[in-house]
Amino acid sequence: MIAGYRISALMMIATLAAALVVTLIPLPDGPAIARPAFFTMTVLFWVANQPYRFGLIPAWMAGLFVDAIYGTPLAEHALALAVAGYCTIKIRAWLWNFPLIQQPILIAPVLLVYEFVLFWIDGVAGLDVDPWYRWLPVASSAVLWPAWAYLMERVARIEVRRHN
Amino acid sequence: MKFEDEHNSRVLSRRVAPGLAIVLIAIASIAMMIIDDVGKRLAPVRSALAVVAQPIEMAAEWPGQTLAYLDQYFDRGALLRENERLRQNNLLLQGRLQRLAALEAENERIRALLASGSRLDQNVLIARIMSISPDPYRQYVKLNKGSTDGVFVGQALVDAHGIMGQVTDVTPLGSRAILISDPNNGVPVEVNRTGLQTIAQGTGHAETLTLPFLPNNADIEVGDLLVSSGLGGRYPPDYPVAKVRSVRHRPGGEFLDVAAAPTAELDRGREALLVWSPPEPDEPEPETVEPTNESEPSGGDDAAASGPTPDAVNSGAEADTR
Repeated sequence: MIAGYRISALMMIATLAAALVVTLIPLPDGPAIARPAFFTMTVLFWVANQPYRFGLIPAWMAGLFVDAIYGTPLAEHALALAVAGYCTIKIRAWLWNFPLIQQPILIAPVLLVYEFVLFWIDGVAGLDVDPWYRWLPVASSAVLWPAWAYLMERVARIEVRRHN
Repeated sequence: MKFEDEHNSRVLSRRVAPGLAIVLIAIASIAMMIIDDVGKRLAPVRSALAVVAQPIEMAAEWPGQTLAYLDQYFDRGALLRENERLRQNNLLLQGRLQRLAALEAENERIRALLASGSRLDQNVLIARIMSISPDPYRQYVKLNKGSTDGVFVGQALVDAHGIMGQVTDVTPLGSRAILISDPNNGVPVEVNRTGLQTIAQGTGHAETLTLPFLPNNADIEVGDLLVSSGLGGRYPPDYPVAKVRSVRHRPGGEFLDVAAAPTAELDRGREALLVWSPPEPDEPEPETVEPTNESEPSGGDDAAASGPTPDAVNSGAEADTR
């Protein structure tokens, strides 16, 4: 639980950059379609745990980077991350009360909303949105959430400990 | 636990409520997407973001590159074998090139006689494929050459076996190319055997293109080679694009159901060539060769340029699009 502490912007940017690298590492096609959305999870983690320091605007700006890298219409992932961030803010009190291992129940719908916004925008843009496997990252991310959130907390605690 | 900001004034807080923020963000995002889609007017924003993101992309490439490097480092035998193979291949290609040089010269002369505007030589630039689309639903590759190397939007991307795609976004240090297999991309092609013109459309799968606009009586067979026709001016003419894999006649349908397999290795290669024709200097070319066919009656070259042969139609169209 690090929601009560003040985490520096540098720490958040560093973890986000690391998550983005993990998200972009080239993988063969099979694993790539089910790859957990590490970057999304990291953004949601910070929104859940530092809502006053990492709010919707930073989440939106983080999404702009994803759009620039993926070549998607500018603000597509940004909007999806902001909407998912909004949902996270709404459920953050529950998140804080749930043990990590049970949090996938709460975070899965948020990830579903995230993916649905992308699905919707892709559909409006006239892309092929039929494949069922585009929803796979929702499941894999939700399953991986406890481990990833634990790792994030561990990393963030380095800073907390140094200050106290 | 305490929340640092909870004692802030409820009335005069600087904070925007999340509910209001999300509405504003949604409006701004949708506006941005529309502006981005309509005039590509957000290209500077996009390229600025891409420059900032460049180190992250390079870091993501690093593990794969290190693995490949270690692989080569420890497997000397494979390296030697590859070297041997490349040496032989090089010899073979050199041999062919000698003949090609002679043929090219001959072709130039004959074209000069016809006073046709099209030229054979093209500039090439070798680019390394950094990553194949991180987004599995879009068919893109990233290249390690950008505007500092002279890459520009619209350049065609070619590998050893055929056309791969064209450049769509350029940043100073990198660029992105859409592959011919992307559903949003079509290549003007002609059937090599008959000269039949059509369009090959991507399907989203790297192994399949479709030819949606061929009428039922079109002369096309399994195994036909499709080469780029150069119409539209985006892709250079006469490069192989795909081989017809299946032709199906749907009873009652107006068009044939034709599937073709791209000849280029869209999802495997590590290197590709950026190809472009030298833009301006080929305009005065016909005048300099004019004296050589002085003996011909005037108007002869006009007839040749607009004649009905597929070749002349091709070069005429190409000159139009320049």
